[in-house]
Amino acid sequence: MSANRFFATGNFFTNYRQEQRIFRTHLDRAFFVAFLGSLFAWPLFFDVGNRTMLVANNILIAVVAVYGLNLVTGFAGLISIGHAAFVGVGAYTVAGLARFLGESHALIVHWWPLMILASGGMGAIFGAFVGLPAMRLKHLYLAIATLSFQMIFSWAIQFMTTFNQGQMIPVGRVIWMGGQVGRKEHYLFWYYVILIVAVVCGMAVRNLLRSRYGRCLVAVRDNDRAADAMGMHPGLTKIYAFTLAGFFAGVAGALHAYMFRGAGFESFTLHHSITYLAMAIVGGLGTLPGSLLGPAAIYALELQVEHMSEWSGTFLPDSFNLATALRPLGFGLMIVLFLMFEPRGMANWWRICRSYVKLWPFRY
Amino acid sequence: MRRNMLLYSAIVMAVALSFTFSVPAGASETYQLGLSLAITGPTSDAGNPYSKGVEDYIRFANDTKILGNGKIDCPIRDDMYETAITKRNFEDFLDQGMVFFLSYATGANQALAQDFNEVQIPVIPASMDKSLMEASPYIFLPIASYSHQYVSVAEYVAANHKGDTAKVAAFIHPSAFGRAPLADFQAAVAAGLKLELVEVVEHGKDLDNSALLQRLAGKGVQYVLCQTVQSPVATLLNDAQRLGMTAKTFGEPGKITFMGAHYTGGNDLIALAGTAAEGFHWTTSYRVTSEKGPWTDWQMEMAKKYARDEKTANSHNYACGIMAAQVTVEAIRRTREGGKKITRATLYETLNQMNGDKAFESLVAVGPVTYSATDRMGVDNVQLYVVKEGRFRAVGEPFKPKYMK
Repeated sequence: MSANRFFATGNFFTNYRQEQRIFRTHLDRAFFVAFLGSLFAWPLFFDVGNRTMLVANNILIAVVAVYGLNLVTGFAGLISIGHAAFVGVGAYTVAGLARFLGESHALIVHWWPLMILASGGMGAIFGAFVGLPAMRLKHLYLAIATLSFQMIFSWAIQFMTTFNQGQMIPVGRVIWMGGQVGRKEHYLFWYYVILIVAVVCGMAVRNLLRSRYGRCLVAVRDNDRAADAMGMHPGLTKIYAFTLAGFFAGVAGALHAYMFRGAGFESFTLHHSITYLAMAIVGGLGTLPGSLLGPAAIYALELQVEHMSEWSGTFLPDSFNLATALRPLGFGLMIVLFLMFEPRGMANWWRICRSYVKLWPFRY
Repeated sequence: MRRNMLLYSAIVMAVALSFTFSVPAGASETYQLGLSLAITGPTSDAGNPYSKGVEDYIRFANDTKILGNGKIDCPIRDDMYETAITKRNFEDFLDQGMVFFLSYATGANQALAQDFNEVQIPVIPASMDKSLMEASPYIFLPIASYSHQYVSVAEYVAANHKGDTAKVAAFIHPSAFGRAPLADFQAAVAAGLKLELVEVVEHGKDLDNSALLQRLAGKGVQYVLCQTVQSPVATLLNDAQRLGMTAKTFGEPGKITFMGAHYTGGNDLIALAGTAAEGFHWTTSYRVTSEKGPWTDWQMEMAKKYARDEKTANSHNYACGIMAAQVTVEAIRRTREGGKKITRATLYETLNQMNGDKAFESLVAVGPVTYSATDRMGVDNVQLYVVKEGRFRAVGEPFKPKYMK
């Protein structure tokens, strides 16, 4: 009974192959399929407005970006505070081409899946380049190197006329199944596209972590000298971590550009880099579920703070201006509380829940 | 038979009376608007009083029944100067049936311009960036664009400077907000405006401008024309005062006269720069409360009625908000009077007819608001002000720049 693949609660693996399964039990798999099914089905059963779809799309785009950040910071242990700049590279790959070729050029509107991949590739190239200092730098010094990339990106976008000096560059509506995706179905269409990308990227990360390349990241994070002694190349592993992070960020950026129908500088600032980092921390650094939970939690917090600010404005005097303080206060407080009381992030709550359900009612 | 007739008549009358009382003539209608702006975060010093201006005028319109039994519902959302949040607010307002959108920042308006075109909704932004009129025919600037204001300042220098061609420096925000008016200024110089542009300074976040000022003085700069926000101008003015470089009167030889457009001035600049702001010349299309008149009384009464503090009441950004709401309410009123249903399309049509004898006079602006299919800049006039004894005072009459079309 206990070895049953539906209800197994203990470790009954007899070889490494079994240990590397994506789903430990059939119940895990069933739960995942049900969760995925509900993600695909809910917009069809509820009459949701564009606002809700926009929020959902933003969360999913952030999920894709945070996959990358989690790989470089969570799994490889390399602090990156320039992640929004990588997302920006992806967005400006699409937007820059749209500016150069025309916003409705076939490459932009017909070949958009290719553009999303190309943006990921561009993000990966920039990631590899920015990762070069990682061969010589560690910890805070590396963080400063990534910060400098954020600064250079900001400067380049804001000053170069190629990128419209940071002003919005429009991107045309895409073509799908021979027709243009109109305004009415825009958010729903992109919801499904982004969801599919997020699921594929999530599976890719999960599989990567089962491979020797994924284990290399963790080994270098835990002790790069030991990893070196074991035959791994810590320097190349770090560059490769940045490359992967850049790829995911680039894909997220392209999705952002298509979903918002353009790219403007203000969506890729240092503030956004810090927000991505907060998402990874709150979700749980070095965990895959953390990449899903973090963005959802931060967006939920943001919405709640907005509501609270609005509500407080109805009875507090103007001079009190609580609204100005609420957002940074709520945001900062959440990060500090997580770092103090739950440094493993929300992913740990998920782990605890699973353990509880697994043990109940004494299946051993 | 007669009894039955009486009974039937009584029933019919009762039913008719009940309809009379339950459905008043011209049933009450609610018009849905939406305002998304930066109440917190960057530029909230301008956004906060702006939101109060909109809120107060909408309340005023509802309280005084400007629209008869029609009511306006205008939810105000803070977008923290983030385009993504503005877009979310915009979509939310559309879901609620919004017919007129009041927006804020240049970037957000540019990002949403395609949406405005698709849903064909009239929009009044708080930004006066000229590019917005090119981005969408549905965007109506409330007053003269930044470019118009900046070129107006330059024209004033060219017309009033004594001696050879005046040497000027441009002190601008390091973004398109700062650069676009500069390009129009340079075009004006190329077209014959008699000024020599000696240097363009894209300011950073410097806490001390001594070296910059010394360099400008060394190059013989007599006027610094600013197109940015208040705080860098205040730093510049403080440093100039400390170095004894500030002109006490316009064009004082050997000194520098500082001037600027819309967002460089206002009471916040005086609060930041103190006495160093003396002599600063500033253009806007709004009236200021330091110049007494019926408009001042009206604005101050409005602020008092809705319990606003003195700072908000005297802010030109409060006046900006009032005017944006005024134009919107006026468009709804005229459309109603024309017997048309209030929709995005009819409001757009009404706005485009707001010209000639149908131009709208707002107490808070220095000229009439005029729009047409080819003119989407509301108040074309600008007024020059100068700081005297800690208050902005009008210089001459409102005027239009000749070098801007």
